[in-house]
Amino acid sequence: MSSATAAVTPVRRLRRRSPGHTLTRTSGLSLGIAVTWFSLLVLIPLSALVVTAAGGGWDAYASTLTSPQAWAAIRLTVGQSVVVTLVNIVIGTVIAWVLVRDRFFGKRALDVVIDIPFALPTIVAGLVLLSLYGPNSPLGLHWANTERAVTLALAFVTLPFIVRTVQPVLEELDTDVEEAAASLGATGLTTFRRVILPSLVPAIAAGAALSFARAISEYGSLVLLSGNLPFRTEVVSVRVLSFIEGGNTAAAAALASIMLFVALVVIVALDLLQRRVSRRG
Amino acid sequence: MSIEINNVTKTWGDFVALDDVTVSLPTGQLTALLGPSGGGKSTLLRVIAGLETADTGTVSIEGVDATGLPAQKRNVGFVFQHYAVFKHMTVAKNVAFGLEIRKKPKEQVAARVEELLKLVHLSQFGHRLPAQLSGGQRQRMALARALAVEPSVLLLDEPFGALDAKVRKELRDWLRRLHDEVPVTTVFVTHDQEEAMEVADEIVVINEGRVEQVGTPDELYETPANDFVMSFLGDVTQIAGVSLRPHDVDVSTTPILAGSTEGTISRLLKVGFEVRLNVLTVAGDDVHVVLSRAEARSLDLREGSTVWVTAAPGAAVVPSMRFAG
Amino acid sequence: MVEPPLPVRWALRAVAVGYVFFLVAWPVSLVAEHTFDDGLTTFTETLQDQYVQRALLLTAEIALWAVVINLVFGVTISLLLVRHEFPGKRVLSALVDLPMSVSPVVVGLALLLVYNGRTGWFGPTLESAGLQVIFSSPGMIMATCFVALPLVIREVVPVLTELGDDQEQAARSLGATGRQTFWRITLPSIKWAVVYGVVLSLARSLGEFGAVKIVSGNFTGETQTATLVVEQKYQNFEQAAAYSTAFILAAIAVICIVVVSLLRPKESHA
Repeated sequence: MSSATAAVTPVRRLRRRSPGHTLTRTSGLSLGIAVTWFSLLVLIPLSALVVTAAGGGWDAYASTLTSPQAWAAIRLTVGQSVVVTLVNIVIGTVIAWVLVRDRFFGKRALDVVIDIPFALPTIVAGLVLLSLYGPNSPLGLHWANTERAVTLALAFVTLPFIVRTVQPVLEELDTDVEEAAASLGATGLTTFRRVILPSLVPAIAAGAALSFARAISEYGSLVLLSGNLPFRTEVVSVRVLSFIEGGNTAAAAALASIMLFVALVVIVALDLLQRRVSRRG
Repeated sequence: MSIEINNVTKTWGDFVALDDVTVSLPTGQLTALLGPSGGGKSTLLRVIAGLETADTGTVSIEGVDATGLPAQKRNVGFVFQHYAVFKHMTVAKNVAFGLEIRKKPKEQVAARVEELLKLVHLSQFGHRLPAQLSGGQRQRMALARALAVEPSVLLLDEPFGALDAKVRKELRDWLRRLHDEVPVTTVFVTHDQEEAMEVADEIVVINEGRVEQVGTPDELYETPANDFVMSFLGDVTQIAGVSLRPHDVDVSTTPILAGSTEGTISRLLKVGFEVRLNVLTVAGDDVHVVLSRAEARSLDLREGSTVWVTAAPGAAVVPSMRFAG
Repeated sequence: MVEPPLPVRWALRAVAVGYVFFLVAWPVSLVAEHTFDDGLTTFTETLQDQYVQRALLLTAEIALWAVVINLVFGVTISLLLVRHEFPGKRVLSALVDLPMSVSPVVVGLALLLVYNGRTGWFGPTLESAGLQVIFSSPGMIMATCFVALPLVIREVVPVLTELGDDQEQAARSLGATGRQTFWRITLPSIKWAVVYGVVLSLARSLGEFGAVKIVSGNFTGETQTATLVVEQKYQNFEQAAAYSTAFILAAIAVICIVVVSLLRPKESHA
């Protein structure tokens, strides 16, 4: 146990696993079957979508995307998704904070209610919102078939994302860091801004990405609520469906491929974000 | 000879965990694989167990070539550093697991489990879940679980590494007694030389993927094969190009000792029954010396005194190669 | 813990509770109110409607298949991703999350392009072999599988990672085969994660709308699921029937959520 002992100990660490593969015959077979099913279900259909979209050539692609109605739908969808994501960043963080740090009667119920938009069928979500914000609104708000209906529907379906990504991080956060900040003279607001918020940023970013992707792709909750009025409340998914119903598969695929691209970007961003966070941790 | 390892090499990418290792581990004995972390000793143990496959080389257990055998066919008992208890099973179910896998009759399993729980002093805990046990109790349960299947060899990977010092000491003595009672061939990995010296019949020192020396604790301590083994097994100091133990340094206040080196006491520290000196020699060595209080008193040593130091007659010395001062 | 001043806490609490109340709690409770406006009359009448009955049965059947398939696939993929190394693993692990963010309409269209009987890549071949995918149950099951695919995996992967492979190695060293290790050690250790995954998949599968609408063809009384009935009834001005069907679906969703939230804390004690 001498210092000499420590001095000769080589500082070399055993790496856990080598690259290459560690598959046995059974696991290799399972991987084969799983990947085949995944290809048939997800990869081949999505490739077909991209191939069909590209099939019409660049011009067909461009003319679909720049047709005034499709363009209006894209503008509305992206705009509303950004608005809703920003709202979620603020409200979602507040809700997460309240769930973790506050104590009051009914907190457990609030925690459960947050998950309802995850599990509620989207068509039911639309109907649910209609009952409060539709023609027979007990509040006297007639937001059905307006842009506000789109905002509402997107806010409803994306509510849990940021709450559920921020909540666990906030729970893990050591309160003694806050106490240290306070002992160094930081006010509550400064502590939040300089100490708490920076640790929450990756979680908020991940939640925001998921929330944005979900908003961009939403369909079911808008069907009954927004009225699908071209140039006013028609979102991209609805436009894609109209193209499909009208038999214009190429145009549908072109528009859908844009949505797929956004989904891919979000997935890649999340993957990179997760890796960065786990490296830091 | 019970376990024969021949020319085993194992690499992880460009990191060589085991470099052409050949060693025999004797039947019925308690052998320690001793070495610094990352030196390859755990890898060797896992290769013996079949939990890792060697890149090249062969492993035979009790005369049976085990090189290509999967872990479940080797009939070895393995005890993990972090216990690896089956959390969802009771203590008794954990111990019974290997026997149930072997489809032993129920009564026989029950009897054997009872016997083993008694052996590891956990009889009254059979119906508890592992979460309700202390670390030491969990490790004893893991040991009973490994012994239940009557393995031809018992392998323990840093078995006491995760326990606190007091429990570790108790378990160490207990393992020694258990081995005397149930003399199954046992191999355990440790980086603690004191643990290896106290418990093992034989020690294999492993460093940087190679076997440095094999021998009894006495042999290793008295006649270390090299500088590394010597320094790993205890305190070492250097005088004039040789390494030796600090308590094997002779000190005198006059230059009467043959081949002695002159120096000045730069620091003198009394700890318990011993006195530790740092002697700065004229050759520039900083020699560590350990004396008894009586010796120090009889020589009337103080900081700043001029002394002559040399290796005591019969001291274990090896040429010092890897370090100076 | 450093607590913010009382007014700030109250303000934050009011914002959180108010937002959730107006956006989720109140609207959802109104559906129950609308359903039982006139006592049980409309509700029982709706349940006796043969198209509603047929749709509910079909929904249950499709959801059941999708959940079973996703359960087997999800547990298999999770084990492979956590316990094994193979080329392309990182890509696969990112791709299995993809269905989370793909629009159901895109899912429906993509399946249509490959499996429709006239111009699809595989559709005509499959149909001449006697298997109709689009406008029929197989297509609806596939669409449902697609959208609910990551749910089991997202629950199981973190638990498997956290668990480590110590216990599995111990089982192997005690003589257990791969199969025995899975059934006796791995599965019991991840069972709660699997249960959550299944409950969430069930909720998602019962409620799928957009993708199923496209691949089913939405034929009343044949390939119409419960969610499609809600849309049709509402648009046909049979609001009471729409609310009743929606109530059933909402009730199942809420039950699923409550079951998961009741089960979840248990795990940390186990």
